[in-house]
Amino acid sequence: MASVLHGWRAARVTPLGELHTPPRMTAVLLRLTVQVVLVASLWRGLYSHTGTTAGLSRDQAVTYAVLAVLASRLRELDQYAGRDTVLQHMHFGTIVYWYLRPLPPQRYYALRALGEQLYGLAWALGGYVVCLAAGVVEPPGSAAVAGVFVVSMVLGQWVLYYVMLLLDQLCFFTIRNNSAMLILIFAQNLLSGVYAPLWFFPDWFITLSGFLPFQATLSVPLSIYVGRIELSDAGAQLAVQAAWVVALALFTRWVWRRAARRVISQGG
Amino acid sequence: MSVKAVKSLRIVWRISLLNIRAAMEYRTEFLLNIAIGAIWQMSVIVFATVLLARFTGMGGWESSDVLLIPAIRMLAHGLFVLLLGRTHFIGRQIQEGRIDIYLLRPMPVHRQVQLAYFPTNAIGDLTVAAGLMAGALSRSTLDWSAGRVSYLIAAVIGGMLLEAALFTAVASACLRYPAADYWGRWLEELLGTFGSYPLNVLPKAVGGFLTFALPLAFVAYFPAAVLTGHDTAVPYWLAASSPLLGLLAYLGARWLWRWGLGHYAGVNG
Amino acid sequence: MHLNGNIEVRGLSRTFHTTVRRPGFAGALRSLVNPRKVAKHAVSDVTFSVAPGELLALLGPNGAGKSTTIKMLTGILTPTAGEARVAGVVPYEERERNARNIGTVFGQRTQLWWDLPVRESFAILRDIYEVPKAEHAARLKEFDDLLDLSSFWDTRVRHLSLGQRVRSDLAAALLHDPQVVFLDEPTIGMDVVVKEQVREFLRHQVEKRGRTVLLTTHDMTEVERLAERVVLVNHGRLVLDGTLDEIRREFGSTWQVRVTLADPHTEVGSLPGVALLRREGPQAVFGPDGPDAPTVHQALKQVIERYEVTDLALDEADLEDVMRAAYAHAEPAPAEAAAEGA
Repeated sequence: MASVLHGWRAARVTPLGELHTPPRMTAVLLRLTVQVVLVASLWRGLYSHTGTTAGLSRDQAVTYAVLAVLASRLRELDQYAGRDTVLQHMHFGTIVYWYLRPLPPQRYYALRALGEQLYGLAWALGGYVVCLAAGVVEPPGSAAVAGVFVVSMVLGQWVLYYVMLLLDQLCFFTIRNNSAMLILIFAQNLLSGVYAPLWFFPDWFITLSGFLPFQATLSVPLSIYVGRIELSDAGAQLAVQAAWVVALALFTRWVWRRAARRVISQGG
Repeated sequence: MSVKAVKSLRIVWRISLLNIRAAMEYRTEFLLNIAIGAIWQMSVIVFATVLLARFTGMGGWESSDVLLIPAIRMLAHGLFVLLLGRTHFIGRQIQEGRIDIYLLRPMPVHRQVQLAYFPTNAIGDLTVAAGLMAGALSRSTLDWSAGRVSYLIAAVIGGMLLEAALFTAVASACLRYPAADYWGRWLEELLGTFGSYPLNVLPKAVGGFLTFALPLAFVAYFPAAVLTGHDTAVPYWLAASSPLLGLLAYLGARWLWRWGLGHYAGVNG
Repeated sequence: MHLNGNIEVRGLSRTFHTTVRRPGFAGALRSLVNPRKVAKHAVSDVTFSVAPGELLALLGPNGAGKSTTIKMLTGILTPTAGEARVAGVVPYEERERNARNIGTVFGQRTQLWWDLPVRESFAILRDIYEVPKAEHAARLKEFDDLLDLSSFWDTRVRHLSLGQRVRSDLAAALLHDPQVVFLDEPTIGMDVVVKEQVREFLRHQVEKRGRTVLLTTHDMTEVERLAERVVLVNHGRLVLDGTLDEIRREFGSTWQVRVTLADPHTEVGSLPGVALLRREGPQAVFGPDGPDAPTVHQALKQVIERYEVTDLALDEADLEDVMRAAYAHAEPAPAEAAAEGA
C-alpha cells in the first residue's frame, strides 16, 4: 500500500495549478458552456429536416455530441502552462530531474495523468449533471446501460491515457516531432468521434478505424450510452477495449525503457 | 513604391526563402507537414460531404450552395496560414522571451513574428482548399459572371483578413496576458467546427453570437449567402460588405497589436 | 556524520558519437545518404576522489567536460569506460538507489513545478523521497533561516526572480538530507548578496551537516571562499588535482607587477621571463612567464630599465589570472575533443 501511495502528491500538480489560477478555471467553464450550447444547437439544427439517420435519432445524436464535448474535458487542459510536459522538459533540459529522483519517471507520469484525469472528471461530471437537468442530454436507457457505459468509459480513458503517453514518449526521440504529433492528435480527435459520431462516416472509414485504438477511447462508450451499440454487442466491444489496454500497456512499457536508455546515453 | 518598401520586401523575401530551406532541412518533417495540412483539410471535406449527404436541404440551402461555404472558409484559412498565420505561435514566443529579442531588432515585431518560420502545412491546406473550391464551382449552378467572381475573390481575401484579425487580437492580448494563448486555441477550434455551415440552422441567439460576438459568419457564410442569393439574419448590405469588414477588422487588430506592444511587460522580470 | 558520503572516480571516460552536417545544399544531400560520424571525447580517463564532508570544486573552461562528469556521477549518463562510486553506489547501475543519496542542482534548470507555489514543490518532493513530516518541517525551518525562503515560498515559481528560484532549487535538492550534493554552476547570474547567502548556506551544509559537495563554477571568488581542494579539467582530461595553493604554484604567478607608464602611449611587450598580462590604459601588469621566470626583484629591475614609469605596485596574482594561465596551459586537443553534452 505504501508503495502505491508513494509519490501521490504528484497527482495533485494539475488540480493545484488550476486552483491557483482562477482565471484559467473561469476560462474552462466559459469554454465548456459555450461549446455545449453551440454543439447542441448545431446538431438540433442539422436534424431539423431529417429523421433518424445513420441509426441515430436527433436526441441520440445531440446526447452523443454533448457527451463528447464533456468527455474531451477529461484530458484537454492547458498542459503547456505548467511546463511539465515531456516536450517542454526536453526543450528546457529539465527532463534530467525525472531521472534524478527515486520515483521512476513512468510512475511519476502515471500519477500526474491520473490526477489530471480525475480533475477533468470533476468538470465532466458537473457538466453532465447540469446538462441532464437542463434536458440537453438524455439519461441512459437503463441501469444496465449506465453500468456498462461506466466500465467502457473507464477502459476508454485508460486507452486514451496510453495514446497520450505515446505522444509524449515520442518527444524523447525527437523534439522536432510537431507534425507527427499533430497527425496523432488529429487522428485521435477524428477517429474517436469527437468531431462527429463515427456512424455518419462511410463504411470504409468505419472499417479502417476498427483497426485503430482511437474509437475505443470515446466512440465505443458514448455509443453504448446512447444505445447505438446494443447491450448484447457491448461485451465484444469491451473485450476489444481491454485488448487495446493490454497491448498499449506492453508497448508503452517497452518505449519507456527505450526512452530511459536514450536519456542515459545522451545525458538529457 | 518607395525605396524603403522595396528594401523591406526584399528582406522579407530573403528570410522567407531561408525559412523554406530551413524547413526542407528536415525532409520527413517537411513532407509530413504538407501531408498534415492536406489530411486535416481532407477530413473537413469528408466531414462536410458526409453531413451534406446525411442532412440534405441544410438550412434551406442546396448542397451545391452549401459547399461554397467550406470552400471559401478553407481557401481563406489556407491563405491566412501561409501569409499571416504565425500569430498562433505567439504565446510560446512570449514565454520563451523571443519577443524581447524581436524588440531589439530594427524590424517591426509583427513582421518578425511572421518570419519566424515557414508554415509548411499551408501548402497542404491550400492544395486541398483549391481542390474543394474547384469542386464547389463545378457543381455550382450559378452564373459566374465577372462580378460574382470578383466578389468571390474579395470574399476569400476578406475571410483571410478577418481570421488574421481575430488571431492578431488574441496575440495582442497575449502580449499583456500570456495565458490568453488558451483562447487562441479555442478560437481555432470554433472556426474549424462552426465555420462551414449555413448558420441559420442554429437558433437565433446562437447565430447572433457567431455573428456579432465572434464574427465567424462574415468569414464565409455571409459572402456565400450573398453569392447564392440566400437571406440571412442580417440586412443584405451588412452581409454584402463582409470583405470590407474583414479589411477594417484587420486594420483594427493591427492597431490593437501596436497598442499591446506598447504595453508589453515581458515575462518573468 | 555521514561516514559513507564519498565520491570515487577511476578512469572515467565518455565518448559521444555525433553526425556532422556538411555545409551547403549538396553537402546536406550527401549527409543524408552518407552521414559523417565523429567521436567526441567529452571526458577521458578522469580519476579523482572526494572525501566525506569535503567540498571539491570541479573547474575548467566551457566545454571541458564538467557537466558530463556530473551527469555520470548522478546516474543520468553511463560512462564508456572507467567506473564511479557515489556513497558506495555505482550511480548509472543503480540510479534510483543513488538518487536517494544525492541532491542535484543544475543552476540554469529548475526542478520546481512552474505553476505551483514553491512550498507545494517541496511537499511533492517530500512525498517522492518519503521524508517523515517532522523531519521535513525541521529541515525546512533550517533552510529558511539560512536562505530566507519564507519571504517568497508562497509565490508561484513562474513569478520568482532568478535568485529566489535558485535558492528554492537548492533547498529542494537538500530536503531529503542527501549525503552527497552536486551543484552545476549554482550561482550563475545571481547578485552578490544572494551569492554570499548561497555560499554561507553551502558552507553550513558542509561544515555543520557534513555533506560532501561537488561544485562546478566559473566564479573564482566562490572557489576561494568555499573550496579546500580543486580538480581542474580541460578538454575532458584531468589537468590538476590539488589545493588552491598548489594551483597557484603550478600555474599562477606568485607575483604581479603593476606599473604606470610615464607616456601612456608607450608600446609595451613581454620581456625575457616576464610576461605582459594586461594593459589598462597607462597601466601595465606583468607576471612571471614559464618555469625560468626571474624573481620579483629581477623582474622589477628589468621593467624599470626598459620603460619609463611613474608609479609601481606589487600584488599577488588573483585566482582569475591563475585560472586563465591554467586553462591556456593545458595542451590544446583537436577541436572536436571538447564537448560538454547538452
